[in-house]
Amino acid sequence: MTTALTLDHVRKFYGAKAAVDGVSLILEAGKITCLLGPSGCGKSTLLRLIAGLEPLDGGTVATDHILSGPRSHLPPEQRDIGFVFQDYALFPHMSVEDNVAFGLKRLNPAERQKRALKQLQRVHLADRAKAFPQALSGGEQQRIALARALAREPALVLLDEPFSGLDAHLKAGVRDATLEALREAGTAALIVTHDAEEALMMADHLALMDQGKILQTGTPQDCYRCPVSLAAARLLGPTNHISVLVINGLADTGLGTLDATGLEDGPAIAILRPEALGIAADGVSAMVTSNRFAGAESWIGLRIDGASRLDLQARMPTGNSPPVGTHLSVILDPSACTVTPT
Amino acid sequence: MTVLANPLHHARPARPSALKVGAWLAAGLAILPLLAIVWLALTRPSATAMPLSLILRYGLTTAALGSLTAVAVTVLGTSAAWLVVMYRFPGRSLFSWALALPLAAPAFALAYGYADLLDVAGPIRTALRASFGSDFWPMEIRSLPGAAFVLSMAFYPYVYLTARSAFISQSVCALEASRTLGSTPWETLTRVALPLARPAIIAGTALALMEVFADYGAVSFLGVQTLTTGVVRAWSVYGAPGSAARLSLLLLAVAAVLLWQERSGRQGQSFGANSARWRPLEPQPLKGWASWGASLYCLSLISFGLFIPAGWLAYRGLSAAPEADRLIQAAMTSFSLAGMGALVTVSLAALIAFGAPHSHRIKRLASLGYATPGAVMAVGLLAPASLIWQGAGSGGSQTVALALGLLILAYAARLMASALGPIEAGLARVTPSMDRAARTLGETETGALRRVHVPIAKGALWTAALLVFVDVLKELPATLILRPFNFDTLAVLADRYASDERLAQAAWPTLLIVLTASLPIIILSRKIMQSRPGE
Repeated sequence: MTTALTLDHVRKFYGAKAAVDGVSLILEAGKITCLLGPSGCGKSTLLRLIAGLEPLDGGTVATDHILSGPRSHLPPEQRDIGFVFQDYALFPHMSVEDNVAFGLKRLNPAERQKRALKQLQRVHLADRAKAFPQALSGGEQQRIALARALAREPALVLLDEPFSGLDAHLKAGVRDATLEALREAGTAALIVTHDAEEALMMADHLALMDQGKILQTGTPQDCYRCPVSLAAARLLGPTNHISVLVINGLADTGLGTLDATGLEDGPAIAILRPEALGIAADGVSAMVTSNRFAGAESWIGLRIDGASRLDLQARMPTGNSPPVGTHLSVILDPSACTVTPT
Repeated sequence: MTVLANPLHHARPARPSALKVGAWLAAGLAILPLLAIVWLALTRPSATAMPLSLILRYGLTTAALGSLTAVAVTVLGTSAAWLVVMYRFPGRSLFSWALALPLAAPAFALAYGYADLLDVAGPIRTALRASFGSDFWPMEIRSLPGAAFVLSMAFYPYVYLTARSAFISQSVCALEASRTLGSTPWETLTRVALPLARPAIIAGTALALMEVFADYGAVSFLGVQTLTTGVVRAWSVYGAPGSAARLSLLLLAVAAVLLWQERSGRQGQSFGANSARWRPLEPQPLKGWASWGASLYCLSLISFGLFIPAGWLAYRGLSAAPEADRLIQAAMTSFSLAGMGALVTVSLAALIAFGAPHSHRIKRLASLGYATPGAVMAVGLLAPASLIWQGAGSGGSQTVALALGLLILAYAARLMASALGPIEAGLARVTPSMDRAARTLGETETGALRRVHVPIAKGALWTAALLVFVDVLKELPATLILRPFNFDTLAVLADRYASDERLAQAAWPTLLIVLTASLPIIILSRKIMQSRPGE
């Protein structure tokens, strides 16, 4: 593995509030890392710190040399880091081609144009080279912004909520085109998003962030299956959580026993993804309290009256989803559950 | 981590950006004369001090003049804006920009025109005596109410422009909601539009009042003694810079209050301005006499504000041959001063706009200069000016150059804020992330400025230059005080002729100013009319 960028205990304060609070992260060359977190968690600030658009208050940002440190700050234009802005920030007074060629001033004009066109071809917009940004659709503008950032062949490109401004039906297409262009360029990418599905689909590596801190890093699969905390689990989608007692590395949820190896005996939290709940003959009796249609699958509210009352949300195929008021026999799929400390 | 233990220092410590330092320096230039005034007022006890009763009288006259004018410009400007925005009547689209035309005429042009037209020996009162045997004209133009009339006609466009843009941009949705809730247009005006536009109207009135208090040419010709004429007299008649500075302090206090009003008015403008969903308001057609009444109202405003006085001056001017040599000389002087003034002022304003786009403190400093009357600005620069006079005796070309430099500094200090407005509006298209995009694409701070900001704001820079050019052309008191000996601009020449009661001669330079300023004013006002919120 080659490291493209290393963040070491990066801190940034706005007044007394820490926007970025001791973040350490390694970005691998040629890999796509998604930084997922709710709005205001500091993820966009972190991008600006990496790009050098703001000085940091502690820690270091380094490639093979230090970019930002306690007493040093390399200006953004000398960092070899591309940036795709949330509002794209295309220059309205320049044609698409000139926008893409903006960062190539060291090349001679002929070569500059050639490189710009090559970038435009990569995002399938070579035919719009002479157009002005205002004449393009949102999806096209996003691709131009990406082509512009990649034109300088940076070692790392940062994307700030790159799909947030797009209509839902455009998102999937633009997302695929973006992935394709990033893979082809072979650059490391850090994509900031608050959309869990987007992050899970795009990332080679995932970093979960909340309140200025990184909660968990890993592959999307690991983060989804084995969240380290309830907060981390919630970032990646809806969850059910049950207070449990760990005894000898096992936790009884009332629906079945989960493996809690490595946890000390005592109170803990069992995290159940909605798809962990299934219907089978030898399960626990549950009453259907709600049934919300959501296309191929439906959200089913379940109530289990055991030692204590449990209200859970399950996700089941719409085809045989049960009506409200009926009783089901419910079982637990342990592979979609985790036990974490409280 | 080995990488971190081996700090290869390509990086250098962050330092304050050169542009930001430049912005502070530019703003500093704007308030330099004001600081000099405070210093003069405190340190120069003057033996030939003006009597306190005189200062008090100046103050009261100024207050009365300000109150009368404020009421008049507010009513006239707001009503004209409401008509043009809400109704369809003959000539509406023409009036919507032509109502700003009186801005092309300096207030003293109106004063000359009306004073001559309404003089006892003038054509109107002569005709009245001939027809009715007695002269029962109700209003003496060389009086406080007369001056208020002249200044109201000269400055109502300030309120018209701000009220119009407020009516158009702020309250479209609210107006339509009001109409669908059953209000008549009149009820909509009083219950919705006026309350919504009130901050903007107050801001426009404050701008007009700044001009009223800064005026020297009109009030001095009409024999009304205000604080500003007092400042000039303290300097020229009493030879007492200390007294001039103390009077200036009074004016500065008034200016600060107006500025505060104008600023808070502008902040209020932001409410309801959802530019994304802006739609043109469909004006209601007026029928019959009402539609001709509306046309007549707008036409008479423009006539009283420009056509009647300028037309009469033209008639008087044509009856006498101009002193061509002096006129041409003054025109050359005026144009080159205005050109240089525009260049310097726009450069400094651009430095502020580019270097400190988000610093309200710097802009407040710059606008303090705008609120300051030209005479006050000049008094603030007198101390360095007199040093130059003494140092170099009289005449030398270096002295002249230095004095001209001071004069241009006075223009820049006073007009920087008005140049800043359009430049900032032009830069609104540059989002913060565009700036950052340029930086992450390898441009330095100044490189981004050159390749992104300046090209985008190019049109706005020209607009700003035009505004400053017109204002310098019309400027009188600062030029009068600071100009090198025998160095006449068109405005100064007009003032000298007029004070010698040679009105036919005064008409020529005055009309040259009006004609030259008309073209930029037409361009600018049409541009304002075409621009829409959100663009």
